[in-house]
Amino acid sequence: MRHLIPLNQKADRVVAAVETDKMDEVRAMQTVVAGCASTLDPGWEVDPFGGVAALCQPMEADLYGCSDPCWWPAQVPDTMNSYKDWNDGADNAGKDWRSLGTVFPSDSET
Amino acid sequence: MTPRLRKGHLAGLAGLLLLMPLPAGAQDGPALMEENCGGCHAADANGALSRISGQRKTPEGWLMTIVRMRLFHGLEITPEVQSQLVHYLADTQGLAPSEAASHRYILEREPAVVEEVDAPLGEMCSRCHSAARFELQRRTAEEWDLHIDFHVGQFQTLEYQALGRDREWLKLAREEVVPLLAERYPLETEDWTAWLAAQKPEATGSWVFTTTLPDKGEAYGSLEVTGDAQPLTVSGTLVTALGEELPVSGKLNVYTGYEWRANLDIGGDKYRQILAISEDGGSLSGRQFLHAEDSLGGAFNAVKAGGEPAIAGVVPSTLPAGSNATVQVVGTGLENVALSGALEATGGTANAYGAAIDVTPVAATDGAVSVASDGVSADNVLAVYSHIDSLKVEPAYTVARVGGGGGSAGKVPARFDAVGYWNGPDGQAGTEDDIRIGVVPAKWSVEAFNEEAEALKDVEHAGVMDTELGIFTPGVAGPNPERPFSTNNAGNLKVLATSGDVTGEGQLIITVQRWNDPPIR
Repeated sequence: MRHLIPLNQKADRVVAAVETDKMDEVRAMQTVVAGCASTLDPGWEVDPFGGVAALCQPMEADLYGCSDPCWWPAQVPDTMNSYKDWNDGADNAGKDWRSLGTVFPSDSET
Repeated sequence: MTPRLRKGHLAGLAGLLLLMPLPAGAQDGPALMEENCGGCHAADANGALSRISGQRKTPEGWLMTIVRMRLFHGLEITPEVQSQLVHYLADTQGLAPSEAASHRYILEREPAVVEEVDAPLGEMCSRCHSAARFELQRRTAEEWDLHIDFHVGQFQTLEYQALGRDREWLKLAREEVVPLLAERYPLETEDWTAWLAAQKPEATGSWVFTTTLPDKGEAYGSLEVTGDAQPLTVSGTLVTALGEELPVSGKLNVYTGYEWRANLDIGGDKYRQILAISEDGGSLSGRQFLHAEDSLGGAFNAVKAGGEPAIAGVVPSTLPAGSNATVQVVGTGLENVALSGALEATGGTANAYGAAIDVTPVAATDGAVSVASDGVSADNVLAVYSHIDSLKVEPAYTVARVGGGGGSAGKVPARFDAVGYWNGPDGQAGTEDDIRIGVVPAKWSVEAFNEEAEALKDVEHAGVMDTELGIFTPGVAGPNPERPFSTNNAGNLKVLATSGDVTGEGQLIITVQRWNDPPIR
């Protein structure tokens, strides 16, 4: 571990867990972020195991990784093509998620 | 190509400008189409506009198409004209009642339906959205083919997603999916031709109904529909099983001759109705739900008052044995009501909703009750019970969503019913011969569904179950710094209903919000 430097908060948590002998807990937590791997492709609502523990959570941490490449366009407005300015002015989804609007107009109903 | 913008302007986008009136002297449909759509959609020798003429859809399908033209292609149109176009397109290029019948759940925004979709449509289409979304469309083969082009052009990474990148996606789409869709859902059908020519049912007049309110339970009442032009005016009364009377008022649009869309105020709460009038005009059925929380609602069944004798339902639909009760048989022309089966009674008192009968089911009575009157009958619409052998939670699996907290998406709650069963002849619970009693009172609670939910303390964070009503209100949206990695207030819970010594169990996923929430999901 002496030659590895954590690059982000998650890596910091791993290092801290090793130092405090909490690796089992970290392994359990891996399911929280495992769904972010494209090979797994969790659904927007549930993960590949039918639960939510393996979704990308908090969803806001990776939201623009979904909306930019049009990953769940039926649930999340895609900024690649359909709603290009959806997240304008909301650069940090973790802090700015409240300013993200729903896209079907409220003036339209049968 | 830059779309040519049509005249008109966006007016009054703030708030719900719903159920626009169709003013006298409004332009006729073809002229409206030419004026608002003809700038981009070229007319053929017969005046049919490109793309549009090769499709038929529900009112919601056409609304979503027009909204997409606004959002993606710069169409500018007033809410009034948009409403007129949806009416015109749904009336002239809609779906026959028989074509929409099996997929009404998606129009009704039923929250807990799990679709079973065969290959290749499951992998190709319903991995992103409901199967009903395409099953409620009818197109020519060319139009289905262009629909593939639209998806490739609009959602450009779809071939890289799971179930896209691991196969020859475009080849499959063109050579397998398009022919299948064109065969199953063609533009021209005998049913649509017959419906276009058919005498359409009348929405106006008096209706008597049964329904269920999320917080007040089973209810019945009457609606009066009046007016010469859409939207029609609705007024009436709703009576809860406990006898509380609530005034009903609102507006109604009817599309395609039978698609009933109403926004109603019921005792101060805003409700929406997505119903279908039967082809003979004698009945009306679908789902009624809270306008702002469409996951909270119930079935709505009505019959036309003053017509042939008919029964809409019975309130309450379950009765504990050994106590006095009044059974309201809801219907029309019910002169000589008789209950038979586990409970025998005749007579009753006629009222505005049918007839009310006072009953005293003897203690230790268990069984179904049928209702009959003057040649009409409804079998096993009421159950009397002294005991319950087992309990099932309905829905057995559903999804709630976090929301609120200052974000644009509201919380999506979930509501459950506890349904009692008798064991049936084999004396075993959970077998095919179990006999359904109906919805019974229960105490509600939640537990972690599995180890992950236990470790993440989902019960603590994901929301709150109302112990009496079976309504789960999810937690607030956004990262929660109190959870590992600031995880959202998502969760995976067991939903438990207990009545006496029996318990039923369901599963509830509490998941994240959606920002794209059109009328057909």
